Amino acid sequence: MVQVRPEETKQVHGMTLRLDPLREECFHVVHSDAEMHEWPGMSPISMRERLHRHMNNETGAIEIAAQCLADFPEAPWELRMHLARQCWDESRHVAALYRRLREIGGHKGEFPISNFEWSVTCMLDSLAARLALQNRTFEAGELDLLGQLPAKWREVGDEETAEVLESILSDEITHVRFANQWVKRMVADDRRLLLKIAMAVRFLSAVTATVAPKEGELSPVGLVFTAPKSRVPQVNIEDRRHAEFSDDEIEQFLRQSGYQSIMSTGTER
Amino acid sequence: MGLSVQTRAENVATFRFIHVFLMETLARWVPKTREMEVKVLFGRHIWDLAQQADELGKRTHELRAPLQFSLRPIEGYTRFLEEFAATETTPRKICWFYAVMLPGLAVRYQRYLASTDRLLDEPTVRVMERVLNDFTRMRAESQALIDDLPQLSLTEDEWKARLAEREAAEPDIVIHRSVVAVA
Repeated sequence: MVQVRPEETKQVHGMTLRLDPLREECFHVVHSDAEMHEWPGMSPISMRERLHRHMNNETGAIEIAAQCLADFPEAPWELRMHLARQCWDESRHVAALYRRLREIGGHKGEFPISNFEWSVTCMLDSLAARLALQNRTFEAGELDLLGQLPAKWREVGDEETAEVLESILSDEITHVRFANQWVKRMVADDRRLLLKIAMAVRFLSAVTATVAPKEGELSPVGLVFTAPKSRVPQVNIEDRRHAEFSDDEIEQFLRQSGYQSIMSTGTER
Repeated sequence: MGLSVQTRAENVATFRFIHVFLMETLARWVPKTREMEVKVLFGRHIWDLAQQADELGKRTHELRAPLQFSLRPIEGYTRFLEEFAATETTPRKICWFYAVMLPGLAVRYQRYLASTDRLLDEPTVRVMERVLNDFTRMRAESQALIDDLPQLSLTEDEWKARLAEREAAEPDIVIHRSVVAVA
């Protein structure tokens, strides 16, 4: 079990979170999505911000997998191999997104960044809980987003970015899959881990409720935030199945998203 | 005459210990390193080190030791590793790992390859040759990054020379054990 020392934490709106990992001075680090510069549509500045944000999220994913390797030396070797592989995959994602960002005229530090996933996940003291949050929640959410995004980039004629995102999607499926497999194994071996996972999910809900932008608030670029429900992407049923979520779990995600994917999957098949 | 099966197992298990240690060190460094490109470099090589450790760990089992068996090296070398893990600045991290640790390990692998029976111990030879090829690629990748970002280059030549000397000070870092202890 890992104990996070007080000097490794920060306070955000009264919540205790893990202190940010180090970033170069060119980056402006903020502590919530409400402070990010999210532009609407697919204008050139919006495209650069999307890639910049994604690049930092993938950097965070390397850091979380790496920190798990460092914090849990007693984890089964086979699981550590998955985490090491994830470090490589996420590193390639960062490099590919950075290459694409520069190709479309962007640069490091052009927009604010947030290390939300790191700050929440790396507060947790068990590997099962970290996998449940980082891989089964955040990365699974990325499956939903990446199920939709390539089409958006193609609509504006950017085939290169669409291909980068599709490559990332196929890697992320494997990260969610190994977490699904291992969390099930770990819980079968030690039922007490269920409590750790439940507490982790509750912690994430509490932090999200505290830092999420409220409906009607103005974003830093002057846009009105919509209700959180309207920002939930369609559930990527097919890729969640590839990642070995059960039908019951997928049904639960669908309920949470207001059954947003039913129509699209029905017409695609 | 080559090395006994037990000596081979001890050597391979010691190399495995070092690879796991290096993997964990790079992993610990990733969030504590500022430069994004260096995080990417370390992230790539965490996977290389894990695969190398995995192959060495499979080989220990073939040499009548447990699967994924590791042996801690002698105390002096372990202290050297611990000091390495505590390195603070990015240029020093890069220099110590790519310009001191990997070349030093390569010499140790070559020494093993020169002393073992390359036919009887061919599975180990193959693993080590792959590791040496990986090291060449890993060092080339770090050099390419330094060429791109010269501010990551270390200018402390004397510091580097002292480290290389210390790394080479103990030619045999394997703790040899009784037959019962290894099997």
